[in-house]
Amino acid sequence: MALDDRVVAIFDAFQSGRLTRRQFAKRLAAAGFASSAVAAFLAACGSSSNPTTTPVKGASSAPAAIPATSAPNPTPAPAPTPAPAPTAASASTTSAASPATDAGILKSPDPNPKRGGTLRLAFGVTTSNYDMQQGANAAVLCHLYSQLVRLNLVDGLKTIVPDVAEKWEVAPDGLAYTFKLRSGVTFHDGTPLTSADVVATYNRMISPPQGVVSLLKDRYSTVAKVEAVDPLTVKFTMKEPSAIFLLLLTDTTQAIYAKKTLDANTNDLRKVQVPPGTGAFMFKEYKEAEKWTLVKNPNYWNKDLPYLDAVELIHVPAWSDRGTAILTGQADLSWNVSKETWDEGAKKTDTIKTNRVTSFSAYQVIINAKQKPFDDPRVRRAINLALNKQGLIQAYITQEQIDLTRWVPHGGEFATPRDKIATLPGYRPDKTQDVADAKKLLADAGFPNGIQGVELLSASVPPHAEIMSPAIQDQLKRALNIDIKIRVAERSLLVEDEKAGRFTLVLDTPGGPISDFSPIGNTYFKTGGSQNFGGYSNPKFDDLLKQSDRELDSAKRRALLDQMQDLLDQDPPWLFIGYTDHLLMWRAYVKGLALDKRVQLEWGRVDTAWLDK
Amino acid sequence: MRRLLTAIPTIFGITVLIFVAMRILPGDPVASIANEGGGGQYVLSKADLAAARVSLGLDKPLPQQYISWIADVAHGNLGHSFWNKEPISAVVLRRGTISLEIALLAVLFSWLVGVPLGILSATRRNSWLDNIVRLFMTMFLAIPSFWIGLSAILVLVLVFTWRPPLTIVQVWQDPVRNMQMVIGPALALGLGLAATLARMTRSSVLESLGEDYVRTARAKGVREMLVISRHVFRNALLPVVTTSGVALGGLIGGAVATETAFGVPGLGTYLVQALSSRDWMVIQNLVLLYAVVFVVINLIVDLSYGWIDPRIRYQ
Repeated sequence: MALDDRVVAIFDAFQSGRLTRRQFAKRLAAAGFASSAVAAFLAACGSSSNPTTTPVKGASSAPAAIPATSAPNPTPAPAPTPAPAPTAASASTTSAASPATDAGILKSPDPNPKRGGTLRLAFGVTTSNYDMQQGANAAVLCHLYSQLVRLNLVDGLKTIVPDVAEKWEVAPDGLAYTFKLRSGVTFHDGTPLTSADVVATYNRMISPPQGVVSLLKDRYSTVAKVEAVDPLTVKFTMKEPSAIFLLLLTDTTQAIYAKKTLDANTNDLRKVQVPPGTGAFMFKEYKEAEKWTLVKNPNYWNKDLPYLDAVELIHVPAWSDRGTAILTGQADLSWNVSKETWDEGAKKTDTIKTNRVTSFSAYQVIINAKQKPFDDPRVRRAINLALNKQGLIQAYITQEQIDLTRWVPHGGEFATPRDKIATLPGYRPDKTQDVADAKKLLADAGFPNGIQGVELLSASVPPHAEIMSPAIQDQLKRALNIDIKIRVAERSLLVEDEKAGRFTLVLDTPGGPISDFSPIGNTYFKTGGSQNFGGYSNPKFDDLLKQSDRELDSAKRRALLDQMQDLLDQDPPWLFIGYTDHLLMWRAYVKGLALDKRVQLEWGRVDTAWLDK
Repeated sequence: MRRLLTAIPTIFGITVLIFVAMRILPGDPVASIANEGGGGQYVLSKADLAAARVSLGLDKPLPQQYISWIADVAHGNLGHSFWNKEPISAVVLRRGTISLEIALLAVLFSWLVGVPLGILSATRRNSWLDNIVRLFMTMFLAIPSFWIGLSAILVLVLVFTWRPPLTIVQVWQDPVRNMQMVIGPALALGLGLAATLARMTRSSVLESLGEDYVRTARAKGVREMLVISRHVFRNALLPVVTTSGVALGGLIGGAVATETAFGVPGLGTYLVQALSSRDWMVIQNLVLLYAVVFVVINLIVDLSYGWIDPRIRYQ
């Protein structure tokens, strides 16, 4: 019996808590599932208020659930604006093996997909080079490649499914991941995919050879080695267990390159336009800063895909232009449009669809914790308490959508729910007590009358320099009598000053590649983190982070992350503003991507897309 | 010939100025590019940056870099941007034709609208028509063309659910879509230029109307239309031609704000993108191109004086 939308709706309702276990069982039975299958689901799902499994779509027999340790832990979270509420949290799988049936054979979640046509995406499609692991624009190039695993396109990116790896196994101690590759997969130039390609790709990332700048090296510091067991089997041996290893592999930068291509170009693909991949689309043409044209791969390993004949990636840097392009039908989909065009699109429900999804970039003021007075955690805590985040979010609303978040972004499985965040000191809308507490902290730190001569470095882009920075300056002056002078610098110069530590406070938009907090914690907050430009150091945090990175049990990991967030609230490295949301907009005839179900950001592949026109 | 010869040291001086300016201005292009590609998530070590600079030829002595550049340009090779394979000359040709179309259409529009309005205003001085024209001039001198563009786009999108094409369509590929792309910015720019030309024409014509030869022509019984077209207009043309030439040179370089307002991928936006990513090769070659275009246009304008005013020719 094949899954249909009715059954998926039953699972969604159970996961979101709208059905009790008894109701869930009854409805599944009514849908034709055998009682043994129902029992198996219930056993895998755990409690009815906190279900942890998601069925695998596309199975031809009673589907097997993904094991309990793997699945997302949905947290209903109402959206802050009148946008459709996200329904579930991230696809964080920890030590789970792959699903028993191949969930990677994706199909459109919308019935009766039509073949043909060209999907036009509008966003910034320039790239500094063509090497995904050396800084190329992954949002552009990802369409040409496959990864070992990926986020599931058809369920709103809620689960991890196989991609070019057919299945995987995880050692019980979490120290080995063995991936079985699909047979018959070929690169666009006809070269068969083998384990040697995966090994070469990952070894280049982990231990970059001379002349290669591996921008992703830090992510795989827990990997001891990658080796080919046989032509279709790859084994990653870990130095220590990693809670996020699989999730890291889902990042769109994790394209598998052919060893042959790497060898032919001394491992440097930056100037190779374009290295062949195994993805659903092939490169046809690129007009610089104008348009990419990608065509269907007739030999794609998923024989049913893609439905489209071609994809055009149109360079539209201005968010408002992206929005007008969708409104006027000049483009079909954009990952992020301006608020006013998104609002306009939200009114045209018959022709346009919209969604608001959480991203992993945040507006923050990085504090130089090595400079007085911000070397004192009381001062850092005081300014965090006094900052009116809701006010800043509102002040910035015409520029970008910032969400009320805590240190873990909302796309993450372990994010604090919005309604709880709004009650916490420093995050709550009523600042009376927070400001009083902040003043006391400043007084205790030796600054009863405020602080003079503080510099805030801001990029010269008008929203930063003319809206956010002055808003912060004004708030801290009014609340705590902190005199801030804003220094504006061009973006590239700001980055240089940041890296050199030549700042007191700097407004920036740092972020992570995935929904999990770990890369953010390791990059920005860990002592000696590669982008810990403020020199923040808290040994307790480092210890909690290390434990959390290794903890494979969701409940225990949640507890550790909660402790870390509490600690960061008390001893903040940043003046925290919030993670941003992206405003997704598309023409109603674009189907197959479950865009309305997406709860987190991915400017990624569109293999299952089709055009209902 | 003399004017042609003076153009050479001018262009040479510009190349030196551009080259030095790019090296003096703060900002590391490699760091900028790495930052752009990674969205701020990545860090390169000092050794990584040094290696990247070597691979781009930035480690060579400055005179050697300059000579290599000039030699390439002299052979028609504008090079590539730091990372992309597409030659800059190909991008310039593709985008430059759009910017050139916009510029030419804007100047044409300004002539078709501005010059007659200027003449009308001058010949009907202090009449209600003159007042209306002067109001038009003041308005469109004051209103920036990008604002006109933004307003136009707003009306087009909200009322007509239409906007200009996003991707370049050359006139020989699809004349209709090409016109849809260029007409908006051309009109927005043309309105401002028309206001300038109208003002200039008005004051030139007024000056000419006071001359003895005009009085003589009228006294001889020449019809007013012929007095204006045959005697006054030609004499009033010089400052108008000069202004048009300067404007054309500037517009070919790309009216960035207007291109941005209409979302047109022209040369102006290309240069701005190169500036923000410190793509020296693109910046150097584009600025050199603009300089050459400016010099050539000024040369043509200078030469046209002789045709318009024979007295200049005899001098």
